[in-house]
Amino acid sequence: MASACGSGESAPTTAAEVAPDSVVPTTEPIETTEAPELSTIVVTTSILGAVVTDVVGDAAEVSVLVPNGTDPHDWEPSAQDIEALSGADLVVANGLDLEEKLVEALDAAESSGTRVFHATDHIEPLAGDEHGDEHGDEHGDENKSEDDHGHSHAEGDPHFWTDPLAMASVVAALGDELAAIGVDVSDRVDRVITDLKDVDGVITQLLSSLPEDRRVLVTGHDSLGYFAEHYGFTLIGSIIPSLSSAADVTAKNLAELKEAIGKTGASVIFTELGTPTDVADALADETGTRVVELATHLVPDDGLYRSFLLNLASDIVAALSATS
Amino acid sequence: MGPLIDPFVDNDFMLRALLAGALVSIACAVVGTYVVLRGLSFIGDALAHGLLPGVAGALLIGWPTMLGAAVGAGVMIGGVGVVTKRSRLSSDAAIGLLFVGLLALGIVVISSSDSITTSLEAILFGEFLGVSDGDLWALGVAVLVVGAVAAWSARPFLLLCFDPDLASVMGYRANRYHQLMLALVAGTIVVAFQTVGSLLVFGMLLAPAGVGSLLARRVGVMMMWASVVGVLSTYVGLLLSYHYGWAAGATVVLVSVVIFFVVLIATSFVPRRVA
Repeated sequence: MASACGSGESAPTTAAEVAPDSVVPTTEPIETTEAPELSTIVVTTSILGAVVTDVVGDAAEVSVLVPNGTDPHDWEPSAQDIEALSGADLVVANGLDLEEKLVEALDAAESSGTRVFHATDHIEPLAGDEHGDEHGDEHGDENKSEDDHGHSHAEGDPHFWTDPLAMASVVAALGDELAAIGVDVSDRVDRVITDLKDVDGVITQLLSSLPEDRRVLVTGHDSLGYFAEHYGFTLIGSIIPSLSSAADVTAKNLAELKEAIGKTGASVIFTELGTPTDVADALADETGTRVVELATHLVPDDGLYRSFLLNLASDIVAALSATS
Repeated sequence: MGPLIDPFVDNDFMLRALLAGALVSIACAVVGTYVVLRGLSFIGDALAHGLLPGVAGALLIGWPTMLGAAVGAGVMIGGVGVVTKRSRLSSDAAIGLLFVGLLALGIVVISSSDSITTSLEAILFGEFLGVSDGDLWALGVAVLVVGAVAAWSARPFLLLCFDPDLASVMGYRANRYHQLMLALVAGTIVVAFQTVGSLLVFGMLLAPAGVGSLLARRVGVMMMWASVVGVLSTYVGLLLSYHYGWAAGATVVLVSVVIFFVVLIATSFVPRRVA
Protein backbone atom coordinates (compact mmCIF):
# COMPACT_ATOMS: atom_id res chain seq x y z
CA MET A 1 0.00 0.00 0.00
CA ALA A 2 1.36 3.36 -0.95
CA SER A 3 2.28 5.40 2.06
CA ALA A 4 1.73 9.08 2.42
CA CYS A 5 3.56 11.34 0.06
CA GLY A 6 3.27 15.05 -0.35
CA SER A 7 3.00 15.38 -4.08
CA GLY A 8 2.19 13.49 -7.21
CA GLU A 9 -1.16 11.99 -7.79
CA SER A 10 -1.14 9.00 -5.51
CA ALA A 11 -3.50 9.01 -2.59
CA PRO A 12 -1.87 8.49 0.80
CA THR A 13 -4.02 5.59 1.76
CA THR A 14 -6.49 3.62 -0.19
CA ALA A 15 -9.88 4.85 0.75
CA ALA A 16 -11.04 1.28 0.66
CA GLU A 17 -8.66 0.40 3.42
CA VAL A 18 -10.02 2.99 5.77
CA ALA A 19 -12.57 0.76 7.36
CA PRO A 20 -15.03 2.14 9.88
CA ASP A 21 -13.22 0.46 12.74
CA SER A 22 -10.13 2.53 12.17
CA VAL A 23 -12.07 5.72 12.73
CA VAL A 24 -10.28 6.35 15.98
CA PRO A 25 -6.67 5.71 15.02
CA THR A 26 -4.94 3.89 17.84
CA THR A 27 -1.67 3.32 16.06
CA GLU A 28 -1.09 6.80 14.83
CA PRO A 29 2.33 6.88 13.17
CA ILE A 30 4.24 9.86 14.52
CA GLU A 31 6.46 10.70 11.65
CA THR A 32 6.20 14.44 11.46
CA THR A 33 7.02 17.12 13.93
CA GLU A 34 3.64 18.72 13.46
CA ALA A 35 1.09 18.99 16.20
CA PRO A 36 0.12 15.41 17.03
CA GLU A 37 -3.58 16.27 17.05
CA LEU A 38 -4.76 15.92 13.46
CA SER A 39 -8.24 16.98 12.41
CA THR A 40 -10.51 14.05 11.72
CA ILE A 41 -12.56 14.06 8.54
CA VAL A 42 -15.26 11.46 8.09
CA VAL A 43 -16.43 10.84 4.53
CA THR A 44 -19.60 8.86 3.89
CA THR A 45 -18.80 6.99 0.67
CA SER A 46 -15.66 5.47 -0.75
CA ILE A 47 -15.52 7.43 -4.00
CA LEU A 48 -15.87 10.75 -2.23
CA GLY A 49 -13.40 9.36 0.30
CA ALA A 50 -10.81 8.75 -2.41
CA VAL A 51 -11.11 12.37 -3.53
CA VAL A 52 -10.98 13.81 -0.03
CA THR A 53 -7.97 11.66 0.80
CA ASP A 54 -6.27 12.95 -2.31
CA VAL A 55 -7.03 16.55 -1.39
CA VAL A 56 -6.10 16.31 2.27
CA GLY A 57 -2.99 14.17 2.05
CA ASP A 58 -1.63 13.67 5.54
CA ALA A 59 -2.82 17.03 6.77
CA ALA A 60 -5.76 15.35 8.45
CA GLU A 61 -7.08 11.95 9.33
CA VAL A 62 -9.60 10.75 6.72
CA SER A 63 -11.92 7.82 7.25
CA VAL A 64 -14.75 6.42 5.17
CA LEU A 65 -18.01 5.05 6.56
CA VAL A 66 -19.57 2.97 3.78
CA PRO A 67 -17.12 0.19 2.94
CA ASN A 68 -15.95 0.22 -0.66
CA GLY A 69 -17.97 -2.33 -2.57
CA THR A 70 -21.08 -1.91 -0.47
CA ASP A 71 -24.08 -0.31 -2.10
CA PRO A 72 -24.34 3.12 -0.42
CA HIS A 73 -28.07 3.25 -1.17
CA ASP A 74 -28.55 0.21 0.96
CA TRP A 75 -25.90 0.45 3.64
CA GLU A 76 -26.85 0.76 7.29
CA PRO A 77 -24.63 2.49 9.86
CA SER A 78 -23.44 0.81 13.03
CA ALA A 79 -23.26 2.52 16.42
CA GLN A 80 -19.53 2.93 15.83
CA ASP A 81 -20.21 4.81 12.62
CA ILE A 82 -22.59 7.22 14.35
CA GLU A 83 -19.95 7.84 17.01
CA ALA A 84 -17.41 8.62 14.31
CA LEU A 85 -19.84 11.07 12.75
CA SER A 86 -20.44 13.03 15.91
CA GLY A 87 -16.76 13.06 16.83
CA ALA A 88 -15.51 14.30 13.46
CA ASP A 89 -14.13 17.77 12.87
CA LEU A 90 -15.69 17.66 9.44
CA VAL A 91 -18.11 15.26 7.80
CA VAL A 92 -18.16 15.10 4.02
CA ALA A 93 -21.45 13.76 2.70
CA ASN A 94 -23.04 13.50 -0.70
CA GLY A 95 -25.85 15.91 0.09
CA LEU A 96 -28.60 14.39 -2.03
CA ASP A 97 -29.33 11.50 0.29
CA LEU A 98 -27.23 8.95 -1.53
CA GLU A 99 -26.54 7.41 1.87
CA GLU A 100 -30.22 6.74 2.41
CA LYS A 101 -29.96 5.07 5.76
CA LEU A 102 -27.53 7.64 7.12
CA VAL A 103 -29.69 10.67 6.46
CA GLU A 104 -31.16 10.88 9.93
CA ALA A 105 -27.84 10.33 11.65
CA LEU A 106 -26.30 13.06 9.50
CA ASP A 107 -29.13 15.44 10.35
CA ALA A 108 -28.74 14.65 14.02
CA ALA A 109 -24.96 15.18 13.94
CA GLU A 110 -25.37 18.41 12.04
CA SER A 111 -27.95 19.81 14.41
CA SER A 112 -25.76 18.95 17.38
CA GLY A 113 -22.96 21.02 15.95
CA THR A 114 -20.90 18.74 13.71
CA ARG A 115 -19.66 20.47 10.56
CA VAL A 116 -21.14 18.71 7.54
CA PHE A 117 -19.97 19.48 4.01
CA HIS A 118 -22.64 18.55 1.47
CA ALA A 119 -20.85 17.97 -1.81
CA THR A 120 -23.89 18.49 -4.02
CA ASP A 121 -24.47 21.96 -2.57
CA HIS A 122 -21.60 23.00 -4.81
CA ILE A 123 -22.76 21.65 -8.14
CA GLU A 124 -25.83 22.12 -10.27
CA PRO A 125 -27.71 18.93 -9.48
CA LEU A 126 -29.53 17.19 -12.26
CA ALA A 127 -33.18 16.69 -11.50
CA GLY A 128 -34.10 13.14 -10.79
CA ASP A 129 -36.46 11.31 -13.03
CA GLU A 130 -39.98 12.14 -11.92
CA HIS A 131 -41.09 8.57 -12.11
CA GLY A 132 -40.52 5.47 -14.16
CA ASP A 133 -43.16 6.72 -16.59
CA GLU A 134 -40.83 8.87 -18.64
CA HIS A 135 -38.55 6.02 -19.47
CA GLY A 136 -38.26 4.85 -22.97
CA ASP A 137 -38.51 8.40 -24.20
CA GLU A 138 -35.94 9.66 -26.59
CA HIS A 139 -33.96 11.65 -24.12
CA GLY A 140 -32.92 11.66 -20.52
CA ASP A 141 -34.07 14.68 -18.62
CA GLU A 142 -32.14 17.82 -19.24
CA ASN A 143 -33.96 20.13 -16.91
CA LYS A 144 -31.74 21.27 -14.15
CA SER A 145 -32.93 22.58 -10.87
CA GLU A 146 -30.97 25.05 -8.84
CA ASP A 147 -30.20 23.80 -5.41
CA ASP A 148 -30.86 26.21 -2.63
CA HIS A 149 -27.78 26.64 -0.56
CA GLY A 150 -29.22 26.07 2.85
CA HIS A 151 -29.34 22.30 3.00
CA SER A 152 -32.92 21.15 3.16
CA HIS A 153 -32.97 17.70 1.58
CA ALA A 154 -33.06 18.87 -1.97
CA GLU A 155 -34.29 16.46 -4.57
CA GLY A 156 -31.91 15.52 -7.29
CA ASP A 157 -29.50 13.03 -8.72
CA PRO A 158 -26.73 12.29 -6.21
CA HIS A 159 -24.38 10.52 -8.67
CA PHE A 160 -22.36 13.62 -9.54
CA TRP A 161 -19.03 11.78 -9.33
CA THR A 162 -19.42 10.39 -12.83
CA ASP A 163 -18.56 13.91 -14.09
CA PRO A 164 -15.00 15.01 -13.20
CA LEU A 165 -15.77 18.71 -13.66
CA ALA A 166 -18.65 18.53 -11.20
CA MET A 167 -16.20 16.88 -8.82
CA ALA A 168 -13.73 19.69 -9.50
CA SER A 169 -16.19 22.33 -8.31
CA VAL A 170 -16.87 20.25 -5.22
CA VAL A 171 -13.11 20.05 -4.57
CA ALA A 172 -12.78 23.82 -4.87
CA ALA A 173 -15.52 24.33 -2.30
CA LEU A 174 -14.03 21.64 -0.10
CA GLY A 175 -10.76 23.58 -0.04
CA ASP A 176 -12.51 26.55 1.55
CA GLU A 177 -14.24 24.29 4.04
CA LEU A 178 -10.94 22.66 4.98
CA ALA A 179 -9.32 26.05 5.44
CA ALA A 180 -12.17 26.95 7.79
CA ILE A 181 -11.31 24.04 10.10
CA GLY A 182 -7.64 24.91 9.96
CA VAL A 183 -6.47 22.40 7.38
CA ASP A 184 -4.62 24.40 4.77
CA VAL A 185 -4.10 22.36 1.64
CA SER A 186 -4.72 24.99 -1.02
CA ASP A 187 -1.81 23.81 -3.18
CA ARG A 188 -3.15 20.26 -3.14
CA VAL A 189 -6.63 21.53 -3.98
CA ASP A 190 -5.26 23.29 -7.04
CA ARG A 191 -3.32 20.21 -8.04
CA VAL A 192 -6.34 17.94 -7.71
CA ILE A 193 -8.53 20.32 -9.73
CA THR A 194 -5.92 20.50 -12.49
CA ASP A 195 -5.73 16.74 -12.43
CA LEU A 196 -9.52 16.40 -12.73
CA LYS A 197 -9.56 18.73 -15.73
CA ASP A 198 -6.81 16.67 -17.26
CA VAL A 199 -8.79 13.46 -16.69
CA ASP A 200 -11.80 15.10 -18.27
CA GLY A 201 -9.72 15.80 -21.37
CA VAL A 202 -8.45 12.25 -21.49
CA ILE A 203 -11.97 10.84 -21.20
CA THR A 204 -13.30 13.15 -23.91
CA GLN A 205 -10.48 11.91 -26.11
CA LEU A 206 -11.24 8.31 -25.19
CA LEU A 207 -14.92 8.68 -25.98
CA SER A 208 -14.36 10.44 -29.28
CA SER A 209 -13.83 7.10 -30.97
CA LEU A 210 -17.41 6.15 -30.23
CA PRO A 211 -19.86 6.96 -33.03
CA GLU A 212 -22.98 8.94 -32.21
CA ASP A 213 -25.43 6.06 -32.61
CA ARG A 214 -23.58 4.00 -30.03
CA ARG A 215 -23.69 6.61 -27.33
CA VAL A 216 -26.63 5.02 -25.55
CA LEU A 217 -26.73 3.77 -21.98
CA VAL A 218 -28.92 1.18 -20.31
CA THR A 219 -28.05 0.91 -16.64
CA GLY A 220 -28.99 -0.91 -13.45
CA HIS A 221 -30.39 2.18 -11.79
CA ASP A 222 -30.30 5.85 -12.80
CA SER A 223 -26.65 6.37 -11.95
CA LEU A 224 -25.03 7.79 -15.07
CA GLY A 225 -27.05 10.99 -15.49
CA TYR A 226 -24.08 13.32 -15.00
CA PHE A 227 -21.83 11.24 -17.19
CA ALA A 228 -24.43 11.22 -19.96
CA GLU A 229 -25.09 14.92 -19.64
CA HIS A 230 -21.43 15.86 -19.67
CA TYR A 231 -20.19 13.55 -22.39
CA GLY A 232 -23.22 13.57 -24.67
CA PHE A 233 -24.77 10.16 -24.13
CA THR A 234 -28.43 9.27 -24.31
CA LEU A 235 -29.93 7.46 -21.34
CA ILE A 236 -32.26 4.77 -22.63
CA GLY A 237 -33.43 3.73 -19.22
CA SER A 238 -32.60 1.48 -16.33
CA ILE A 239 -33.79 -1.75 -14.82
CA ILE A 240 -34.66 0.03 -11.61
CA PRO A 241 -35.92 3.39 -12.86
CA SER A 242 -34.87 5.24 -9.75
CA LEU A 243 -31.95 7.24 -8.46
CA SER A 244 -31.67 4.60 -5.79
CA SER A 245 -30.82 0.96 -6.36
CA ALA A 246 -33.11 0.07 -3.47
CA ALA A 247 -36.34 0.60 -5.41
CA ASP A 248 -38.39 -2.16 -6.99
CA VAL A 249 -38.58 -3.64 -10.46
CA THR A 250 -41.94 -3.34 -12.19
CA ALA A 251 -43.26 -5.17 -15.22
CA LYS A 252 -44.30 -1.90 -16.86
CA ASN A 253 -40.84 -0.41 -16.71
CA LEU A 254 -39.21 -3.60 -17.85
CA ALA A 255 -41.50 -3.82 -20.85
CA GLU A 256 -40.84 -0.18 -21.76
CA LEU A 257 -37.14 -0.66 -21.33
CA LYS A 258 -37.26 -3.70 -23.59
CA GLU A 259 -39.08 -1.71 -26.24
CA ALA A 260 -36.67 1.20 -25.92
CA ILE A 261 -33.70 -1.15 -26.29
CA GLY A 262 -35.24 -2.59 -29.43
CA LYS A 263 -35.93 0.85 -30.87
CA THR A 264 -32.53 2.38 -30.17
CA GLY A 265 -30.48 -0.69 -30.94
CA ALA A 266 -28.68 -0.53 -27.62
CA SER A 267 -26.38 -3.53 -27.40
CA VAL A 268 -25.32 -3.52 -23.76
CA ILE A 269 -27.03 -3.54 -20.37
CA PHE A 270 -24.72 -2.16 -17.69
CA THR A 271 -25.25 -3.66 -14.26
CA GLU A 272 -24.01 -2.17 -11.04
CA LEU A 273 -23.97 -2.79 -7.32
CA GLY A 274 -27.55 -3.53 -6.29
CA THR A 275 -28.81 -4.44 -9.76
CA PRO A 276 -31.01 -7.54 -9.70
CA THR A 277 -28.79 -9.77 -11.85
CA ASP A 278 -31.46 -12.33 -12.73
CA VAL A 279 -33.67 -9.61 -14.14
CA ALA A 280 -30.76 -8.13 -16.11
CA ASP A 281 -29.89 -11.56 -17.52
CA ALA A 282 -33.50 -12.24 -18.47
CA LEU A 283 -33.79 -8.87 -20.21
CA ALA A 284 -30.51 -9.40 -22.05
CA ASP A 285 -31.66 -12.83 -23.20
CA GLU A 286 -34.84 -11.42 -24.53
CA THR A 287 -33.37 -8.40 -26.29
CA GLY A 288 -30.21 -10.06 -27.58
CA THR A 289 -28.01 -7.68 -25.64
CA ARG A 290 -25.00 -8.31 -23.43
CA VAL A 291 -24.74 -7.72 -19.70
CA VAL A 292 -21.61 -5.82 -18.68
CA GLU A 293 -20.78 -5.04 -15.10
CA LEU A 294 -19.83 -1.45 -14.48
CA ALA A 295 -18.17 -0.05 -11.35
CA THR A 296 -20.26 3.05 -10.81
CA HIS A 297 -20.03 3.06 -7.01
CA LEU A 298 -16.70 1.33 -6.49
CA VAL A 299 -13.18 2.66 -5.99
CA PRO A 300 -10.59 0.56 -7.87
CA ASP A 301 -7.77 -1.24 -6.07
CA ASP A 302 -5.32 1.63 -6.29
CA GLY A 303 -7.74 3.81 -4.38
CA LEU A 304 -7.68 6.65 -6.90
CA TYR A 305 -10.70 8.57 -8.11
CA ARG A 306 -8.76 9.24 -11.30
CA SER A 307 -8.56 5.50 -11.99
CA PHE A 308 -12.23 5.16 -11.18
CA LEU A 309 -13.12 7.69 -13.87
CA LEU A 310 -10.76 6.27 -16.45
CA ASN A 311 -11.96 2.72 -15.78
CA LEU A 312 -15.57 3.81 -16.03
CA ALA A 313 -15.02 5.57 -19.34
CA SER A 314 -12.90 2.85 -20.88
CA ASP A 315 -15.27 0.10 -19.73
CA ILE A 316 -18.13 1.98 -21.35
CA VAL A 317 -16.19 2.55 -24.56
CA ALA A 318 -15.02 -1.05 -24.71
CA ALA A 319 -18.51 -2.42 -24.15
CA LEU A 320 -20.27 -0.09 -26.56
CA SER A 321 -17.76 -0.31 -29.39
CA ALA A 322 -17.62 -4.09 -29.39
CA THR A 323 -19.58 -5.45 -32.32
CA SER A 324 -21.76 -7.90 -30.45
CA MET B 1 -54.89 -9.61 -28.94
CA GLY B 2 -55.53 -6.88 -26.50
CA PRO B 3 -54.06 -5.64 -23.27
CA LEU B 4 -55.01 -8.79 -21.36
CA ILE B 5 -52.96 -11.26 -23.40
CA ASP B 6 -50.38 -9.26 -25.30
CA PRO B 7 -48.07 -8.48 -22.39
CA PHE B 8 -47.49 -12.20 -21.93
CA VAL B 9 -47.15 -12.98 -25.62
CA ASP B 10 -44.75 -10.13 -26.34
CA ASN B 11 -42.58 -10.41 -23.26
CA ASP B 12 -40.77 -13.55 -22.31
CA PHE B 13 -40.13 -12.26 -18.81
CA MET B 14 -43.87 -11.85 -18.25
CA LEU B 15 -44.62 -15.36 -19.45
CA ARG B 16 -41.92 -16.80 -17.23
CA ALA B 17 -43.16 -14.84 -14.24
CA LEU B 18 -46.68 -16.12 -14.93
CA LEU B 19 -45.47 -19.71 -15.19
CA ALA B 20 -43.38 -19.42 -12.05
CA GLY B 21 -46.26 -17.76 -10.22
CA ALA B 22 -48.66 -20.48 -11.33
CA LEU B 23 -46.32 -23.24 -10.15
CA VAL B 24 -45.84 -21.48 -6.82
CA SER B 25 -49.61 -21.05 -6.58
CA ILE B 26 -50.25 -24.76 -7.01
CA ALA B 27 -47.61 -25.84 -4.49
CA CYS B 28 -48.84 -23.19 -2.08
CA ALA B 29 -52.47 -24.17 -2.60
CA VAL B 30 -51.74 -27.71 -1.42
CA VAL B 31 -49.46 -26.76 1.45
CA GLY B 32 -51.33 -23.57 2.32
CA THR B 33 -54.61 -25.39 2.84
CA TYR B 34 -52.99 -27.34 5.65
CA VAL B 35 -51.34 -24.19 6.95
CA VAL B 36 -54.72 -22.48 7.17
CA LEU B 37 -56.56 -25.49 8.59
CA ARG B 38 -53.93 -26.27 11.19
CA GLY B 39 -53.08 -22.69 12.14
CA LEU B 40 -49.46 -22.91 11.05
CA SER B 41 -49.27 -19.47 9.52
CA PHE B 42 -46.98 -18.02 12.14
CA ILE B 43 -44.34 -20.69 11.59
CA GLY B 44 -44.84 -20.17 7.86
CA ASP B 45 -44.03 -16.50 8.27
CA ALA B 46 -41.13 -17.32 10.55
CA LEU B 47 -39.74 -19.78 8.00
CA ALA B 48 -40.07 -17.27 5.18
CA HIS B 49 -37.91 -14.79 7.07
CA GLY B 50 -35.88 -17.07 9.31
CA LEU B 51 -34.01 -18.63 6.41
CA LEU B 52 -32.18 -15.34 5.90
CA PRO B 53 -29.04 -16.24 7.90
CA GLY B 54 -28.82 -19.49 5.96
CA VAL B 55 -28.93 -17.60 2.69
CA ALA B 56 -26.41 -15.04 3.92
CA GLY B 57 -24.10 -17.79 5.12
CA ALA B 58 -24.39 -19.58 1.79
CA LEU B 59 -23.51 -16.38 -0.06
CA LEU B 60 -20.48 -15.92 2.18
CA ILE B 61 -18.99 -19.35 1.57
CA GLY B 62 -20.22 -19.66 -1.99
CA TRP B 63 -22.80 -22.40 -1.57
CA PRO B 64 -26.05 -22.43 -3.51
CA THR B 65 -28.50 -20.18 -1.71
CA MET B 66 -31.18 -22.85 -1.75
CA LEU B 67 -28.97 -25.10 0.36
CA GLY B 68 -28.39 -22.31 2.86
CA ALA B 69 -32.10 -21.58 2.97
CA ALA B 70 -32.82 -25.25 3.66
CA VAL B 71 -30.33 -25.24 6.55
CA GLY B 72 -31.94 -22.07 7.92
CA ALA B 73 -35.38 -23.64 7.71
CA GLY B 74 -34.11 -26.80 9.39
CA VAL B 75 -32.65 -24.80 12.26
CA MET B 76 -35.94 -22.96 12.63
CA ILE B 77 -38.09 -26.09 12.79
CA GLY B 78 -35.62 -27.98 14.98
CA GLY B 79 -35.20 -24.98 17.27
CA VAL B 80 -38.92 -24.56 17.77
CA GLY B 81 -39.16 -28.24 18.67
CA VAL B 82 -36.32 -28.02 21.17
CA VAL B 83 -37.61 -24.84 22.83
CA THR B 84 -41.15 -26.13 23.25
CA LYS B 85 -39.91 -29.44 24.62
CA ARG B 86 -37.34 -28.04 27.04
CA SER B 87 -39.19 -25.00 28.32
CA ARG B 88 -42.67 -23.98 29.32
CA LEU B 89 -42.88 -21.53 26.47
CA SER B 90 -45.81 -21.98 24.13
CA SER B 91 -45.01 -22.81 20.54
CA ASP B 92 -45.86 -19.31 19.28
CA ALA B 93 -43.38 -17.82 21.74
CA ALA B 94 -40.79 -20.35 20.59
CA ILE B 95 -41.47 -19.53 16.95
CA GLY B 96 -41.26 -15.79 17.62
CA LEU B 97 -37.99 -16.21 19.46
CA LEU B 98 -36.36 -18.13 16.64
CA PHE B 99 -37.95 -15.89 14.01
CA VAL B 100 -36.51 -12.69 15.45
CA GLY B 101 -33.22 -14.33 16.41
CA LEU B 102 -32.56 -15.76 12.96
CA LEU B 103 -33.68 -12.62 11.17
CA ALA B 104 -31.36 -10.53 13.33
CA LEU B 105 -28.50 -12.96 12.73
CA GLY B 106 -29.06 -12.70 9.01
CA ILE B 107 -28.96 -8.92 9.09
CA VAL B 108 -25.81 -8.89 11.21
CA VAL B 109 -24.08 -11.30 8.83
CA ILE B 110 -25.04 -9.23 5.80
CA SER B 111 -24.11 -5.90 7.37
CA SER B 112 -20.76 -7.11 8.61
CA SER B 113 -19.68 -8.59 5.31
CA ASP B 114 -18.18 -6.54 2.53
CA SER B 115 -18.46 -9.39 0.09
CA ILE B 116 -22.25 -9.74 0.14
CA THR B 117 -23.54 -7.19 -2.30
CA THR B 118 -27.05 -8.59 -2.44
CA SER B 119 -29.38 -6.46 -0.41
CA LEU B 120 -31.75 -7.72 2.23
CA GLU B 121 -34.64 -6.64 0.03
CA ALA B 122 -33.39 -8.68 -2.91
CA ILE B 123 -33.19 -11.78 -0.73
CA LEU B 124 -36.57 -11.30 0.84
CA PHE B 125 -38.47 -10.15 -2.22
CA GLY B 126 -36.85 -12.22 -4.92
CA GLU B 127 -36.51 -11.39 -8.57
CA PHE B 128 -39.95 -12.18 -9.86
CA LEU B 129 -39.30 -10.66 -13.28
CA GLY B 130 -36.00 -12.45 -13.77
CA VAL B 131 -37.14 -16.08 -13.72
CA SER B 132 -34.67 -18.44 -15.40
CA ASP B 133 -35.19 -21.90 -16.88
CA GLY B 134 -33.51 -23.41 -13.84
CA ASP B 135 -35.96 -21.64 -11.56
CA LEU B 136 -38.89 -23.04 -13.51
CA TRP B 137 -37.51 -26.58 -13.35
CA ALA B 138 -36.92 -26.30 -9.61
CA LEU B 139 -40.47 -25.06 -9.09
CA GLY B 140 -41.89 -27.81 -11.30
CA VAL B 141 -40.07 -30.48 -9.29
CA ALA B 142 -41.26 -28.85 -6.08
CA VAL B 143 -44.87 -29.00 -7.24
CA LEU B 144 -44.53 -32.70 -8.07
CA VAL B 145 -42.90 -33.54 -4.74
CA VAL B 146 -45.38 -31.51 -2.72
CA GLY B 147 -48.29 -33.08 -4.62
CA ALA B 148 -46.93 -36.61 -4.17
CA VAL B 149 -46.26 -36.23 -0.45
CA ALA B 150 -49.65 -34.62 0.12
CA ALA B 151 -51.43 -37.36 -1.79
CA TRP B 152 -49.51 -40.10 -0.01
CA SER B 153 -50.28 -38.74 3.44
CA ALA B 154 -53.69 -37.27 2.68
CA ARG B 155 -55.48 -39.28 5.33
CA PRO B 156 -53.17 -38.66 8.30
CA PHE B 157 -52.91 -34.99 7.31
CA LEU B 158 -56.68 -34.75 7.29
CA LEU B 159 -56.95 -36.37 10.72
CA LEU B 160 -54.21 -34.08 11.99
CA CYS B 161 -56.23 -31.08 10.89
CA PHE B 162 -59.54 -32.04 12.40
CA ASP B 163 -58.89 -34.61 15.08
CA PRO B 164 -55.26 -35.18 16.11
CA ASP B 165 -56.30 -37.57 18.88
CA LEU B 166 -58.12 -39.77 16.45
CA ALA B 167 -55.03 -39.84 14.29
CA SER B 168 -53.06 -41.35 17.18
CA VAL B 169 -55.82 -43.78 17.94
CA MET B 170 -55.82 -44.94 14.35
CA GLY B 171 -52.14 -45.68 14.56
CA TYR B 172 -50.68 -42.62 12.84
CA ARG B 173 -47.86 -41.00 14.73
CA ALA B 174 -49.24 -37.50 14.90
CA ASN B 175 -45.96 -35.82 15.69
CA ARG B 176 -44.21 -37.44 12.79
CA TYR B 177 -46.85 -36.20 10.36
CA HIS B 178 -46.78 -32.80 11.98
CA GLN B 179 -43.06 -32.64 11.27
CA LEU B 180 -43.65 -33.84 7.72
CA MET B 181 -46.20 -31.09 7.22
CA LEU B 182 -43.74 -28.50 8.51
CA ALA B 183 -41.12 -29.91 6.18
CA LEU B 184 -43.53 -29.44 3.27
CA VAL B 185 -44.14 -25.83 4.26
CA ALA B 186 -40.40 -25.25 4.61
CA GLY B 187 -39.62 -27.00 1.33
CA THR B 188 -42.13 -24.92 -0.58
CA ILE B 189 -40.75 -21.71 0.88
CA VAL B 190 -37.13 -22.70 0.29
CA VAL B 191 -37.67 -23.53 -3.38
CA ALA B 192 -39.95 -20.62 -4.17
CA PHE B 193 -38.56 -17.70 -2.18
CA GLN B 194 -35.59 -16.86 -4.34
CA THR B 195 -37.66 -16.77 -7.47
CA VAL B 196 -40.72 -14.97 -6.29
CA GLY B 197 -39.62 -13.65 -2.90
CA SER B 198 -40.62 -14.61 0.58
CA LEU B 199 -43.42 -12.06 0.79
CA LEU B 200 -45.07 -13.60 -2.25
CA VAL B 201 -44.63 -17.17 -1.03
CA PHE B 202 -46.11 -16.33 2.33
CA GLY B 203 -49.00 -14.45 0.74
CA MET B 204 -49.63 -17.37 -1.60
CA LEU B 205 -49.63 -19.80 1.32
CA LEU B 206 -52.36 -17.91 3.13
CA ALA B 207 -54.70 -15.90 0.91
CA PRO B 208 -55.74 -18.44 -1.77
CA ALA B 209 -56.04 -21.20 0.81
CA GLY B 210 -58.12 -18.81 2.89
CA VAL B 211 -60.47 -18.35 -0.06
CA GLY B 212 -60.59 -22.13 -0.43
CA SER B 213 -61.65 -22.52 3.19
CA LEU B 214 -64.42 -19.98 2.63
CA LEU B 215 -65.79 -21.73 -0.43
CA ALA B 216 -65.40 -25.41 0.31
CA ARG B 217 -65.61 -27.96 3.04
CA ARG B 218 -63.56 -30.76 1.61
CA VAL B 219 -59.81 -30.46 1.63
CA GLY B 220 -59.42 -31.45 -2.00
CA VAL B 221 -61.94 -28.88 -3.18
CA MET B 222 -60.28 -26.22 -1.01
CA MET B 223 -57.00 -26.95 -2.76
CA MET B 224 -58.66 -26.63 -6.15
CA TRP B 225 -60.12 -23.25 -5.25
CA ALA B 226 -56.81 -22.15 -3.76
CA SER B 227 -54.99 -23.08 -6.97
CA VAL B 228 -57.48 -21.19 -9.10
CA VAL B 229 -57.30 -18.10 -6.91
CA GLY B 230 -53.50 -18.26 -6.79
CA VAL B 231 -53.09 -18.52 -10.56
CA LEU B 232 -55.71 -15.82 -11.11
CA SER B 233 -53.96 -13.51 -8.64
CA THR B 234 -50.65 -14.05 -10.39
CA TYR B 235 -52.17 -13.22 -13.76
CA VAL B 236 -54.06 -10.13 -12.57
CA GLY B 237 -51.18 -8.93 -10.42
CA LEU B 238 -48.68 -9.19 -13.27
CA LEU B 239 -51.05 -7.35 -15.60
CA LEU B 240 -51.47 -4.54 -13.07
CA SER B 241 -47.70 -4.36 -12.62
CA TYR B 242 -47.37 -4.19 -16.38
CA HIS B 243 -49.97 -1.53 -17.03
CA TYR B 244 -49.57 0.62 -13.93
CA GLY B 245 -45.92 0.10 -13.04
CA TRP B 246 -46.51 -1.40 -9.61
CA ALA B 247 -43.94 -3.65 -7.92
CA ALA B 248 -44.66 -7.08 -9.37
CA GLY B 249 -44.49 -9.44 -6.40
CA ALA B 250 -46.30 -7.14 -4.01
CA THR B 251 -49.10 -6.54 -6.51
CA VAL B 252 -49.72 -10.27 -6.90
CA VAL B 253 -49.97 -10.70 -3.14
CA LEU B 254 -52.24 -7.69 -2.86
CA VAL B 255 -54.60 -9.08 -5.48
CA SER B 256 -54.87 -12.42 -3.69
CA VAL B 257 -55.63 -10.73 -0.37
CA VAL B 258 -58.22 -8.48 -2.02
CA ILE B 259 -59.85 -11.57 -3.55
CA PHE B 260 -59.98 -13.10 -0.09
CA PHE B 261 -61.84 -10.13 1.36
CA VAL B 262 -64.19 -9.86 -1.58
CA VAL B 263 -65.07 -13.53 -1.22
CA LEU B 264 -65.37 -13.14 2.53
CA ILE B 265 -67.87 -10.32 2.15
CA ALA B 266 -69.75 -12.09 -0.63
CA THR B 267 -70.06 -15.36 1.27
CA SER B 268 -71.20 -13.65 4.43
CA PHE B 269 -74.26 -12.42 2.55
CA VAL B 270 -75.03 -15.82 1.11
CA PRO B 271 -76.80 -18.04 3.62
CA ARG B 272 -74.74 -21.16 4.00
CA ARG B 273 -76.28 -24.55 3.85
CA VAL B 274 -75.53 -26.27 7.07
CA ALA B 275 -74.00 -29.62 6.46
